Amino acid sequence: MANGRKCLVIIPAFNEEGSIEQVVENVRNHLPQSDIVVINDGSKDRTSEKALSCGAKVLDLPFNLGIGGAMQTGYKYAHMKGYDVAIQVDGDGQHDPKEIEKLVNALEEQNLDMVIGSRFVERSEYRVSKARRIGIVILSRVISMIVGYEVTDPTSGFRAVNRKVIELFSSNYPQDYPEPEAIVFLHRYGLSIGEVPVGMSARSTGESSITWSRSIYYMVKVLLAIFVDCFKKGPLPKK
Amino acid sequence: MLIKIQIITGAISILLLYFTFEMIRKEKIREEYSILWFFTGLATLLFCFFPDFFLSKFLVRITGLYYLSAVVVIVFCFLLLIVLHFSVVISQLTDKNKEIAQRFAILELEFKEWKEKNVPG
Repeated sequence: MANGRKCLVIIPAFNEEGSIEQVVENVRNHLPQSDIVVINDGSKDRTSEKALSCGAKVLDLPFNLGIGGAMQTGYKYAHMKGYDVAIQVDGDGQHDPKEIEKLVNALEEQNLDMVIGSRFVERSEYRVSKARRIGIVILSRVISMIVGYEVTDPTSGFRAVNRKVIELFSSNYPQDYPEPEAIVFLHRYGLSIGEVPVGMSARSTGESSITWSRSIYYMVKVLLAIFVDCFKKGPLPKK
Repeated sequence: MLIKIQIITGAISILLLYFTFEMIRKEKIREEYSILWFFTGLATLLFCFFPDFFLSKFLVRITGLYYLSAVVVIVFCFLLLIVLHFSVVISQLTDKNKEIAQRFAILELEFKEWKEKNVPG
């Protein structure tokens, strides 16, 4: 797949010592020629050492920045090092590295700027709680309305982006719950987004903390952020 | 009744001006932030000297509010401004802080890689 292009797999991790080794090894097995960088977002456990011991590059943030700030660190690094493609994979092991190739191929073949690995394009056996499912459906509707085509899984953090997006994200990336907002952000800059179906497994370790109250809080916050984005100044005149 | 208010606001404004000045002198507060506090202190001081003008002419005409409620409104407006100003400052600081943390992490990795390559042992 690589065609001589430099690929960077960005794995944000916050207290993921139980799964990080397995994630890194899996990625390495499926994509031996790409570089792997783990963003250790101020973990209190041994995430950093474990990632380092299986040969990943590790960016240690001095304190916890949250997922947005951590992801952006990876994009900054990718931009600085001149990578052509960046792939983000969660550190908890729910994204299957053998699907990365699919994402990158779609990026290339369909000439897209960002490809999202979606759990819902096709029926998959991936089970989500009811609260989460409803939240995703609402978000998906809202975002599809804004961008003008269907986005089935706006919260998926399994993504591949090209050079243009790396550059954009390294200078500006949404903070708290960045995935849905990033889609709208790219749309505003006139960049194209596509989805490919992927299978995902449930978290291998750790508990997902999505409950009803959290889902509602998440929804309100994300919708508010997207709403506010609509009033922001348009993209900088580029070309 | 009014003289009491005059004494209280006068004391408050003098204290406020004094503390603001002291903090600037000891470099505990940056001048740019002290400006708002100075204006708050000055406004209260002016009110203490000319309460009639503020209460029965100026403010009543523009707001329709009388006496104590007017004082509360003035104070509230200034505090609102200051708090808003602080939100802006904190946001900027958070952004800069994030930027530094990110650069620090990248530099650290670069430095480690450089050391492994160039420093034997």
